[in-house]
Amino acid sequence: MQPIIQIRSITKTYPGVVALKDVSLDILPGELHAICGENGAGKSTLMKILSGVVGSYEGELHVGGKLVQFGGTRAAEEAGISIIHQELNLVEQLSAAANIFLGRELRTSLGFRDDRAMEQAAEHLFRELECNIGAKQPVSELRVGDQQLIEIAKALSLSSEILIMDEPTSALTESEVERLYRVIARLRARGVTILYISHKMDEVFRLSDRITILRDGRTVQTLVTKETNAQQITQLMVGREIAALDLGTERTPGEVVLQVEKLRLPWPGHARQWRLKDISFELRQGEILGIAGLMGAGRTELLECLFGAAHDPVQGTIRLHGKVQQFAHPIEACEAGIAMVTEDRKRLGIFAEMNVGQNISLCQLKEATTAGLVSSQREEAMSQSMLQSLAVKTAGLVARITSLSGGNQQKCIIGRWLLTKPTVLLLDDPTRGVDVGAKAELYRLMDRLCREGLAIIITSSELPELLTVSDRILVLSEGRQTAMFSRAEATEHRILEAATKGYAEAAQAN
Amino acid sequence: MSAPSGRMLAWWPFPLTETAIFLAIVLVYLVTGALDPNHTYFNAWDASAKMILRNAALLGIVALGASVVIIVGGIDLSSGSMIAFSATTCALIMMFFTQPEVQASGRIAMDTGLVTVSGLGIFLAMVGAVLSGLMVGTLHTWMVTSIRLPPFVATLATLVGLRSFARGMCLFLTKQYWGSETEKITVNTPFFGWLRENNVWISSVVFLVLALVTWVILSRTVLGRHIYAIGGNEEAARLSGIRTENVKWFAYCFSGLCSAIAGIFLMADNSTVQPALMAQGFELNAIASAVVGGCSLQGGIGTVLGTALGALFLRVVIDAVAKLIKAGADVYQGMIVGIIVVVAVTSTQFSTISHSSRQFFPGWRGIWAIPTISLAAGMCVMMGSANIQFAKDRLLLVGIIVTLVSLAILSFIKLLESHRAK
Amino acid sequence: MRVSSRRSLLASLLVACALPWFAGCPAATPGAGDPTQSGGTKRIVFLINIPDPYWEANLQGLNEGAKMFDLASAGLSVTQDPGNGTTEGQIEKLRQYATQDDIVGVAISPWDADSPAIVEELQKLQKKGVKVITVDNDVNREKYRDSRSFYLGTDNLIAGQALGTGLNAVLDAKGVKSGNFVQFVGNTESDNARARMDGVKDKIGADFVEVAREADGSDTGRAKDNVRNTLLNHKDIVALVGIWAYNAPAITGVLQETNNTGKIVVGTFDAQELAIEAMAKKEIDVMVVQNPFDMGVQTVRLMKAMIQDDQATIKEMFPKQGEPDGDMYTTGLRIVVPDESSPIKKELYEEGVVEFMTLAQFREWLTKFGLKSS
Repeated sequence: MQPIIQIRSITKTYPGVVALKDVSLDILPGELHAICGENGAGKSTLMKILSGVVGSYEGELHVGGKLVQFGGTRAAEEAGISIIHQELNLVEQLSAAANIFLGRELRTSLGFRDDRAMEQAAEHLFRELECNIGAKQPVSELRVGDQQLIEIAKALSLSSEILIMDEPTSALTESEVERLYRVIARLRARGVTILYISHKMDEVFRLSDRITILRDGRTVQTLVTKETNAQQITQLMVGREIAALDLGTERTPGEVVLQVEKLRLPWPGHARQWRLKDISFELRQGEILGIAGLMGAGRTELLECLFGAAHDPVQGTIRLHGKVQQFAHPIEACEAGIAMVTEDRKRLGIFAEMNVGQNISLCQLKEATTAGLVSSQREEAMSQSMLQSLAVKTAGLVARITSLSGGNQQKCIIGRWLLTKPTVLLLDDPTRGVDVGAKAELYRLMDRLCREGLAIIITSSELPELLTVSDRILVLSEGRQTAMFSRAEATEHRILEAATKGYAEAAQAN
Repeated sequence: MSAPSGRMLAWWPFPLTETAIFLAIVLVYLVTGALDPNHTYFNAWDASAKMILRNAALLGIVALGASVVIIVGGIDLSSGSMIAFSATTCALIMMFFTQPEVQASGRIAMDTGLVTVSGLGIFLAMVGAVLSGLMVGTLHTWMVTSIRLPPFVATLATLVGLRSFARGMCLFLTKQYWGSETEKITVNTPFFGWLRENNVWISSVVFLVLALVTWVILSRTVLGRHIYAIGGNEEAARLSGIRTENVKWFAYCFSGLCSAIAGIFLMADNSTVQPALMAQGFELNAIASAVVGGCSLQGGIGTVLGTALGALFLRVVIDAVAKLIKAGADVYQGMIVGIIVVVAVTSTQFSTISHSSRQFFPGWRGIWAIPTISLAAGMCVMMGSANIQFAKDRLLLVGIIVTLVSLAILSFIKLLESHRAK
Repeated sequence: MRVSSRRSLLASLLVACALPWFAGCPAATPGAGDPTQSGGTKRIVFLINIPDPYWEANLQGLNEGAKMFDLASAGLSVTQDPGNGTTEGQIEKLRQYATQDDIVGVAISPWDADSPAIVEELQKLQKKGVKVITVDNDVNREKYRDSRSFYLGTDNLIAGQALGTGLNAVLDAKGVKSGNFVQFVGNTESDNARARMDGVKDKIGADFVEVAREADGSDTGRAKDNVRNTLLNHKDIVALVGIWAYNAPAITGVLQETNNTGKIVVGTFDAQELAIEAMAKKEIDVMVVQNPFDMGVQTVRLMKAMIQDDQATIKEMFPKQGEPDGDMYTTGLRIVVPDESSPIKKELYEEGVVEFMTLAQFREWLTKFGLKSS
């Protein structure tokens, strides 16, 4: 059978990161093709290329036998490809029907907008999808599952032959998931080809015909679902060779530094009520505590609570060196000896307009002042010491921070916080977008800092990473603490089990 | 921010933007001096320099405040109204310190010209004006950080609101104190007369001092670094332990303070305070100076030297046109400022545009832009040619030729672009 | 910093390229100047307060004067420079003149009679040897008389009184014995406005109460709003007075839209085109007309005489020089009524001070000089 999509050695690099490397893949018409991979494996980049969001890359893309290069999502839609993003792309103020026809509104013969026709068409689509959505209802009033169906209806109205679904069940309840499965079955009956991105094994095995595994931006293998099993897939997803790191074995944790009891973070206006519910743990000096959890489990929120950066008031008690603390602003946490390296370096970490030295010295600039004036010599000395101790590869202190590779940028930000001489270091997904070699270097750095007496909490979306660096691993699922493993107890399987536990429970509760 | 090394002209020790503006100022001065039939810029260079300095210092003071707010990632649209407000405050406080005037006829009259204000009154009036600037700055901060209004909206409200508030205040208080309401107060104290007489030097010195202070704050203090950090990435700055609200508080207050000081000078300069008409459009020229001087409206980028030179550049060009067009030059002032801003900011993006596949005239939108720009160019040249001897009788012809030539050039660019896009 | 180094270089180059265009003819014809006129033509500048059709007649007067008194052969030229309706704007212009050596005479209609800053700039110009006169509006004569040599223009108090007398006659003929009236103006602080309004108040009659003086900042939109609000806010309005040229159409327009035409007596200053039409339709009962055309002509005559130190002409224009108010030259003042049926009669006015005209006669005069308004 002639493949409907042929991907031929596509490579996509971002400054400092190779997102896709020589990826080749065939999608057959009418199949449901699952794409599996860890976070950062390159799934999203690949989908962005297919859906026209990313237009410049190396390699070739053939759709329906023709070589294409999409200049935008519109071009991809014209070629019959629609994408349903994880973050839905709807205008909340507009009605369901208006969203479906956004940008290609129907008109009457006089050229006026024809709302009636659009609403009728939308209702027809919703009936086809077996769902109960009013075409006139504003999207903001709909649940996430219904919003997703609007995106699917939109794809149907475009009569797309190919539909990309990016982790479609991540925000759905159990019953919504079941409905989605029914919709998918109907779509397939109409002959729609579906690219299904997920790292949830049960879904993948229930729905797909074939599975392609991506790892570190490369295609690992394409397997026929019937001929494989979940274990093999997981292995292929994870199976990178982690540089034989012998970390943490001889670390001996000291006294308790941080004590968290029944920490709760409210979620006003949300059905779940709590972003975090009843989290309790201890952190000792010289120990690395890993926090595992799927996306949306509350990993970042937990760190933000500890750092005084949460947007809602935190409940429960946080004891630092035995003293109860309540931080209203990050500066208070910083002064108490907590430092936090934020996730999403680009958005929340670096200051792109500042140079390397200024990025490092930012939090501790006060220490370099005399009579209120910054001494540039002392500032430079301060930054320089960090460059050396962290072995940052840079052209110098005045180089632009954006000219550094991801790993070196991350080191600069860690350096920024180490200058504040913290006793607790919070690392939120520090290796995201960092290449493998640099990852190992970061692991060694964490180990060293730990041995020097720092207490570290690290979150990661990559389980092997946590298993490598952590002394203990706390697992979160939907804002609740579902397990705490010691290094000896922890295996990927057990962690995943605990991380998905909440799903089942939540489904029952619903 | 220091300029990164490793690009063209790397050997030049000074920042390139600033150097370029400086060269532009010198160039405009020399060219104008040569073209002007009176050669005023050469023959009366001291008077000309004084003329330019007086305006540039005033604009510069306001632009300094505007640039700090812009660097922190906000915008202050209220400067012009703030100037009117601080001047009104100043004059009204002085009103309370006037003594009844004994006229030649022996009649005792209210001193409505503010001639007999006591020294204490003048001092308190100026303190009051400065305080009014700080209070408005605080109000802006409160609206921006506590009510979470976008800075544009918050300062738009004061842009329209403050001027009207000042007028109301003026009417109300003069009625209470003098018995007859007026919207215009004449300020005729010897002190302000002296200030007016020496305004060029005093306002220039004040401007230089303020610029120095701003420079020290921005590049030598922790606060300054935090200002750049917030403008560059506000959320990251918060997560780095910066109290962003407090830093913004400083920025808006500083802007208010600068406008308030300018208000005192402008009051002395005009010798009258009429809030309805005073300093209209000042805020936009101040923002334009900052932008021409290299500040990015996205925040995080900008220098004191650039802003100061930007203000000087604007004033020099405006003044140069007044030297060349003998009557009615101010008609063209807005046009000139507009063109300078567009050209300056476009040229910052020039390298990015020419290196990427981005087009100047994409699609139908681009095709429509071409005749629009060409017609504008033709019209401008036609207006300007009215004084030129050989073109005077063939105005229409000149206009049509210029329009057609621009049409041809722009169409050629469009063709090149669409060719490259393929 | 992302800023390209080319930015301002490009900007400056563009500006530099544009400058020759601004430079006008002398740049375009270098070296073509007459050697006998080393230094080129000297200029007389007429600085108006705010652009308005009123000043168009003045411009024609200036041009007419330039021909009449042959400025070109005296190496002089005259230009009109528009102000922008602010004190700042005029001060800025005056300073600009001070730096330019080819300016030998400045005639100004000051925006603000009391502004010490304007006065000081005028004094500085005088110190430089530039001849300074005021036209149409004077500076505050009590304090700043010496900041200009002469004043040309209307005696605004007399003008106001003339209008007041006319209004009184119309009200009387209508049988209205008492009531309220409102005066509309751009800027209540302007010297001419004050004098006119005081004049009107003097002569309209003691039983008529001036309930307000509404200022609009020369904004014609607000001028109309002021009239609307007046009709809403005050009771028993019997007369409306327009002090500045554009106030006349503002008043008649609003009266029309509120169906009050003919019910309220209207008196205005300055014959704008629209005002002339309105009077033809009898929407305006009486109009006091200054003569900006004549102001232009006389300005040229006086300035030329001052620059050339032609004492005979100056003596002719100011016979009472040295006496109180001997430095003031009154340009023609006219009172215009719709037609002979108007209750305002020629006899009400002193001969030689105010010229009495019907609309038809006035229009004749306009056509004679190719004017549209006065």
